[in-house]
Amino acid sequence: MSYSLQDLVMFGPEVFFRLFVRINQDVWPWTLLAVLIGLLLPLLLLNNRSRFRRMGLTLVGLAWVTSGYGFLVGYFGPINWPAEGLGWAFVALGILFALMAVFGRSHPGPSRRGLFVVGWFLAILCLPWLTVAESGNWQALGVFGLAPGTTAAAGSLALACINNPWRWACLPVPIIWIVFSAATFWGLRAEWLLVLPAATLMSVGFALWLSPRQGRSPG
Amino acid sequence: MSIDRRRFLAGVGLAGLAMNSPLLLAKSPEKARSSPITRKIPGTNEAIPAIGMGTWITFNVGGDPILVEQRTRVLKTFFDLGGTVVDGSPMYGTAPDVMGEALAARDRVFAATKIWTGDESATREEAARSARRWGLEPFDLLQVHNLVGWQGHLETLKDMKSNGEVRYIGITTSHGRRHREFEQIMATEPVDFVQLTYNLLDREAEDRLLPLAREKGIAVIVNRPFQGGSLFRRFQSRPLPGWAADAGVSNWAEFFLKFIVSHPAVTCAIPATTKVEHMRENMGALYGELPGPGQRQQMADYVRSL
Repeated sequence: MSYSLQDLVMFGPEVFFRLFVRINQDVWPWTLLAVLIGLLLPLLLLNNRSRFRRMGLTLVGLAWVTSGYGFLVGYFGPINWPAEGLGWAFVALGILFALMAVFGRSHPGPSRRGLFVVGWFLAILCLPWLTVAESGNWQALGVFGLAPGTTAAAGSLALACINNPWRWACLPVPIIWIVFSAATFWGLRAEWLLVLPAATLMSVGFALWLSPRQGRSPG
Repeated sequence: MSIDRRRFLAGVGLAGLAMNSPLLLAKSPEKARSSPITRKIPGTNEAIPAIGMGTWITFNVGGDPILVEQRTRVLKTFFDLGGTVVDGSPMYGTAPDVMGEALAARDRVFAATKIWTGDESATREEAARSARRWGLEPFDLLQVHNLVGWQGHLETLKDMKSNGEVRYIGITTSHGRRHREFEQIMATEPVDFVQLTYNLLDREAEDRLLPLAREKGIAVIVNRPFQGGSLFRRFQSRPLPGWAADAGVSNWAEFFLKFIVSHPAVTCAIPATTKVEHMRENMGALYGELPGPGQRQQMADYVRSL
């Protein structure tokens, strides 16, 4: 006899997937606005005008805040206390994104824009369906800006739009999320959901590869 | 022991249950006519049903109104079928709050929870917090969860028992952890209950802890009777043995549970479930015949052979 990872997860899959259903129902119809913002964000993040790029990064920061405070603190935290702490870390990261967007130096964005756009739409259009596939309930859609998995994957990719030295301070939160969510999904035996932390890990690496170098920034 | 309204109702409920429960009659008429299997708590000879209910994972549903309602139905089924012993812990997320909602207006309950804090001076505060969340006072049984801070907590629990703030006190472990220390406490401290893991595959407790419990007159609550559900995952696709009916068993839940409660040292097993139909299956183990020593050996051999 010994502990397995499954023994450390204090809730069942039914309860976990109901969190997605509940948040989607509770914020409806704002869910549509979240989807719309997710679709429009590449236009802002890759825009030639600096103020649109700043607005895009601020909206990405807002998505970190809403998924952290809404899902992790408000819904997940009551059944799994570490999620609450992680939720506040999402909020702090969102604020850091916004601060870098408003006060950081402007720059032209990722070096390979086509790849960035492909990665972005893969994240916000494909990842939400993983919770649907696992739960069998379309209302469990993991929408960007509401669900932390989709938000972390797409939000980490947005690091490609930042060349501020402070971007390194953004990395611990996605990394902690990757470990935490992978352990949770493994414990729940929801193997398909492991794609979410894997996608976030790839996004972080991809973002660092695509991000503009200090020297190439127009300043 | 004085008889208050709560205990009076418990006695009436148990006595009248077998004849009056429509759920039982619908499910298994031959079992409905029998009395629920009870076990006496050695210290007081108070009888409690041999099947109780755990809340680990299953009752941690947060503020989800639909799931709270479902769990309330599970608990109602448990009570309707003769259950009284409900076990929880402050470690189980929102389970104590959900239990409080589900227990509203219930009198017939043997409420057991745990003290789970490293602060050994916070025993009373922890018990009071649990009582507020459950909406009950006093608890029938307070246990030191997984021996966390057990020295300080046990001293306070002994005081609380002598002051009438709790009826029984105990200690818990699970997954076979710290059995040596557990045994030491059983041998030297005046605990009424111990809670430990015991099931068809995890039988380490048979070596020393269960015999010691009998020798010392300590009641035994068994957690993880289905090994966290893995017994079903491993065996439920396989057929029950042809002799199962002779051992008083009609499904796998009864097979696993009757093996446990037929051990002479075991007082109560506390399976957990989220589904009403599974609760009905579990509570089937509260009725009918229990396997004898030879049949218990057959059960263990059969599972090993699969």
